[in-house]
Amino acid sequence: MSSGLPTPEPVDLKAEMVRAALSLSQPEPGGTGSAKATRMTSDLSIDEEMVLHSIGWEPVELVSGVSIHSIPAGIWSWGQGEITYASAAYARSFGNATDRIHEACTKAGAQGVVGVHVEWDVHRHHIDVALVGTAVRPVEWTGLSADPVFVSDLSGRDFALLHTAGWAPLGLAAGASFVYAPRRSMGTAMKQKGQNVELTNFTEAMYAARESAMERMQTAALALGGTGVVEVKVTEGPMDFAHHAVGFTAYGTVVRLLAGEHRHVGARMILPLDDPVRAFDATSLRGQ
Amino acid sequence: MSEVPADLPEAAVRRFAEGAFTSGLTVPDFAACLQMGLEPVGYVQGFCVMQWQWYGMGMQFGGYGPGSGGSTGGYSENWQCPHGMISAEHRAWGQNYEQTWVESAWTEGFSSAYNRMVEEAAEAGAHGIVGLVDTSQPLGDMGVLEFRVQGTAVRVTDGVPPVHGRPWTTYLAGQRLAKLIEAGYAPVSIAAAVASVRVWANCVTENLTEGSNSLYSYAQPGSEIEQTVKAHSVVRRLARQRVREQLGRDSLHGAAMVTTARELGQGDAELQCILRGNRVRRFKEFDPMPPPTPTVRLL
Repeated sequence: MSSGLPTPEPVDLKAEMVRAALSLSQPEPGGTGSAKATRMTSDLSIDEEMVLHSIGWEPVELVSGVSIHSIPAGIWSWGQGEITYASAAYARSFGNATDRIHEACTKAGAQGVVGVHVEWDVHRHHIDVALVGTAVRPVEWTGLSADPVFVSDLSGRDFALLHTAGWAPLGLAAGASFVYAPRRSMGTAMKQKGQNVELTNFTEAMYAARESAMERMQTAALALGGTGVVEVKVTEGPMDFAHHAVGFTAYGTVVRLLAGEHRHVGARMILPLDDPVRAFDATSLRGQ
Repeated sequence: MSEVPADLPEAAVRRFAEGAFTSGLTVPDFAACLQMGLEPVGYVQGFCVMQWQWYGMGMQFGGYGPGSGGSTGGYSENWQCPHGMISAEHRAWGQNYEQTWVESAWTEGFSSAYNRMVEEAAEAGAHGIVGLVDTSQPLGDMGVLEFRVQGTAVRVTDGVPPVHGRPWTTYLAGQRLAKLIEAGYAPVSIAAAVASVRVWANCVTENLTEGSNSLYSYAQPGSEIEQTVKAHSVVRRLARQRVREQLGRDSLHGAAMVTTARELGQGDAELQCILRGNRVRRFKEFDPMPPPTPTVRLL
């Protein structure tokens, strides 16, 4: 029965392996050859690289960007409303790190960065953001393109799928907000003592932080000319070092439709027949 | 690279002569290797245990810090105090410097373990080593670091031995290795390097990192901590540079960059970046496959 899927040309892997071994039996080639095809550095998996090639893109260079902004002493102490220093430090660290990886991408002669690993950490006195990813470009790219350089945390696979559907990543958008959970009044604290009740001061602080962070991320997305943000990652909760302060962070990849309209990728349904192996349970032998 | 011992332990020679192969491959990887014409030869390993002193290189107790660090070669950059004052309580200047002795020790430990593994494989008549795994971990609390590199030595059916009989190596195995070959890349070797940078904070970095509102603060609260940011950028750049030096005209594929920062107080920090990946060489032009067909699994 035909599945309807295109059948790839069979590859004689043994013959290819022998060819590969033959190339490794020769001394390292000298200075000739296509410079474009050599000295690529990438943290993409072979699957990601192959899928990138299938849409006419190639990896170029491993690039990174880092920024650390300070937070003055005392700002995590009890207070009211948003901890603006911390929120601003997050925004500036994320912005500067993005600018730097963007710059590294341009310097590498690439058109964008995919698979960006976002590492960030909030310390009592500073907020660190580090971005590491692989700069990519179209195989036949001449370096002249009207499209802006983009930075995205989408994997090579997701980038290819987005591309196939007629969309393009534009950049990373982030938003964060750190908010004090206000003190309960003495009366409220006494009344709630020993009770299983909602601590509305914390709930409200969480909502306030969330709304500000999400709004900031959306504002950043609009500033990039995007129509939406995909793969949004959020974190929320109290700070390790300041339990009366809550933080909410969000970031994702801004996307825009490039084609006239969204192209349906026409996913085919498959029914795998390789059922997962079930753990052996001795009681099943007794019919229980 | 360190000197490679000329002979294997007697037990290893006896083990390889016994006939049955050993392998660290999973069953699917084993099946994929057989499909590619890779016959497992033996599970090969290399070890090296290094005494690990962060402040080495002849530095005496109390002798490390600005001035002594920059004399070891490598990256070094001074960060002067902008206030123009001298005080025992004021960090009048700082420095970022590359800890070349840490890098040398790491390289020696890693290379020794790696070379010992490769030597085992060569002795067993292997053409390559697949599914390589490397680890480094402290042994107890003795300032000792153990480097361990291991993988499965393989022989290519009807294949020719590698240049100088030195087996090629790769972190990949099984289907991923098959795809690499199909994509036209031959695995040359793994490539790995470390970079280590020490931040000796000046007054501005100290104040910003510790959140102290000094009367003499130069940068505004909330500013970027430029000295530390520079160290982070440099440590990553150095690791990339080291790996590039190992590549020749080949490429690095499937890299992993891991950066760790150890805060030492008062704005001081020690940064380490390890970059490793597969050095690959193109042996044929590759016709890109057609765009894959998206599928939805029904479960």
